[in-house]
Amino acid sequence: MRQAPKAPSRSSAGHALRNLFIVGCVLLWLVPVYLLLVNAMTPPTSYTGEPDWSPQGFALFDNLEVAWDQAGIGDSFLNSMLYATVCGLAAVVVAAMAAFAVVVLPIPKPSLWFWVIYSGTLFPLQIFLAPLFGMYADANLYDTRLGLMLVYAAWAVPFAFFLIRNQMTTMPPEVTEAAMLDGASFRRIFWRIHVPLMSSSLGAAFIFQFTAVWNDLLFGITLSRSPEVQPVMAALTTLNNAYSSSGPPVILAGALIVSLPTLLVFLVFRGLFLRGIAATAR
Amino acid sequence: MSGTVSSAGPVRTPRRIPTRTPHQAVRAGNSAKKYGGSLAGIPWATPALGLVGVLLVYPFFRSAYGSLFQDNGFTSSYTGFDNYSRLADDPIFGRSVLNTLMWVIGTLLLPVLAGLLIAVATHRVRLGGWAQLVIVLPYAISGTATAVLWNFMLTSDGAVNQVLRGVGLDSLARPWLLEWPENTISMIVASTWQATGLNVVLFAIGLRAIPRETVEAAELDGATGWRMFRYVTLPQLRAVTVVVVGMAIVNSLKAFDMIWILTKGGPSRSSETLALTMYRETFRLFHVGYGSAIALVLSVIVVASSWLYLRRQMPSSGRD
Repeated sequence: MRQAPKAPSRSSAGHALRNLFIVGCVLLWLVPVYLLLVNAMTPPTSYTGEPDWSPQGFALFDNLEVAWDQAGIGDSFLNSMLYATVCGLAAVVVAAMAAFAVVVLPIPKPSLWFWVIYSGTLFPLQIFLAPLFGMYADANLYDTRLGLMLVYAAWAVPFAFFLIRNQMTTMPPEVTEAAMLDGASFRRIFWRIHVPLMSSSLGAAFIFQFTAVWNDLLFGITLSRSPEVQPVMAALTTLNNAYSSSGPPVILAGALIVSLPTLLVFLVFRGLFLRGIAATAR
Repeated sequence: MSGTVSSAGPVRTPRRIPTRTPHQAVRAGNSAKKYGGSLAGIPWATPALGLVGVLLVYPFFRSAYGSLFQDNGFTSSYTGFDNYSRLADDPIFGRSVLNTLMWVIGTLLLPVLAGLLIAVATHRVRLGGWAQLVIVLPYAISGTATAVLWNFMLTSDGAVNQVLRGVGLDSLARPWLLEWPENTISMIVASTWQATGLNVVLFAIGLRAIPRETVEAAELDGATGWRMFRYVTLPQLRAVTVVVVGMAIVNSLKAFDMIWILTKGGPSRSSETLALTMYRETFRLFHVGYGSAIALVLSVIVVASSWLYLRRQMPSSGRD
């Protein structure tokens, strides 16, 4: 675009300033990433107590291994993979069914149900925590995988519902009417027509909620305690609290491990991700 | 400019979601009878209502009710609005409100403004998309990992002080996380690193939606640079700005992970925000009722701020 012959109406000094601004911002944003990578490579024994600005040896894999095995990031990594995948999927299916009910099917007061479900994403988590803790203690769900998965699934439903419902309202009702004339049942209409036509929205909702569950800290530290159950962000917090004893290189390696899945998901499915963001901005 | 239009490909304009009441395809008429009548939707909505109702909506009301009790986790007694009147006299709550306010204002000043500037600067620029990608990347990283990384930057012998000493600004080097208000401010900066990308993306969507004709007409009238930005671009971004500002306020009110990792709200509770104060009162000090009162205050503020942008995109409940 910039090479278009029409550009000279703007001053070249302005362009230089703008480019300088962009480059400055990009560098500013990259410096922490660079430091993370360089220092996660430093062998813990040769860490001087101050951040290294150039690579001091290559112990990245050793540090990753220490963080994974000894600091317990590995177990909780697998836990979180389970939580994020299962709860993300469950939430998307449940939310799509609810959206189908509210948008397509006959139901009294659809906007009331919309608000009841959607309200779950409006409030800060703090308002749910104390009663949840009490309920979980009474029901023996505290510090169990099942307990965390239930709360993550419930927490992921509202926003997935919001995304899917918005997309579903853009589908012409004639599609459903035609299928009904052909004698299709609701179940068939849902699985054969709505789910395939909405696949990219469902995908966006899944990716969003996978990331949300993966990145959660507050539910993790409130509703679980033992390393076998704790999600990955809680484990990283525990590791970080041992800042002086385990040493920054191992901690940074841990931060790198826990960030990789969401970074990969973001880079691979950037289009879907941005779609989800865009849907919130309409 | 017409030459560039053809080379630009189709201009992407975001599709508006119709804000009408969703048209129920299946009306409760004769045809619907055999499918279960006017209540056919209920079983489909039940799983969602069950999960959200039991695990989110019920705890919400339970919290609101619990805020009327003096509760230490074992015994509780009804005290009416005592918890709320205690809030007014609690210096820790006052500091917490002040910190929360700093977070809101700081978030509006830094990530929102930076997001707008970066989006405008990289709009329709070669490699601008790559610059945006770099700045959006931290958005895909959790608040916890961001905090761990910035702990490494901000700790007393961390990278920030190292740089300051390295360039001879020793007097500026300080224990960033150990003094108020430096700790709150430096955590806002750390969250800027993470949160700006989202705003860049949102503003970029808004910029792409500006009709090409509007810009061309302004160019024909001789508008350039600042005047173009102030009188053409900015007014056209109003809708997206409402969303960005609303979401930024809500996210800053909900900020927890960053502060919990970096300072745990300390030292001596100086950097707590409402989200932190609630957690500490409830789960560390076992003032469950008092914590619930704080949670309710925070919720009211969050919902009121959400309303800024929510009413634009909600199903019409009362508009038609």
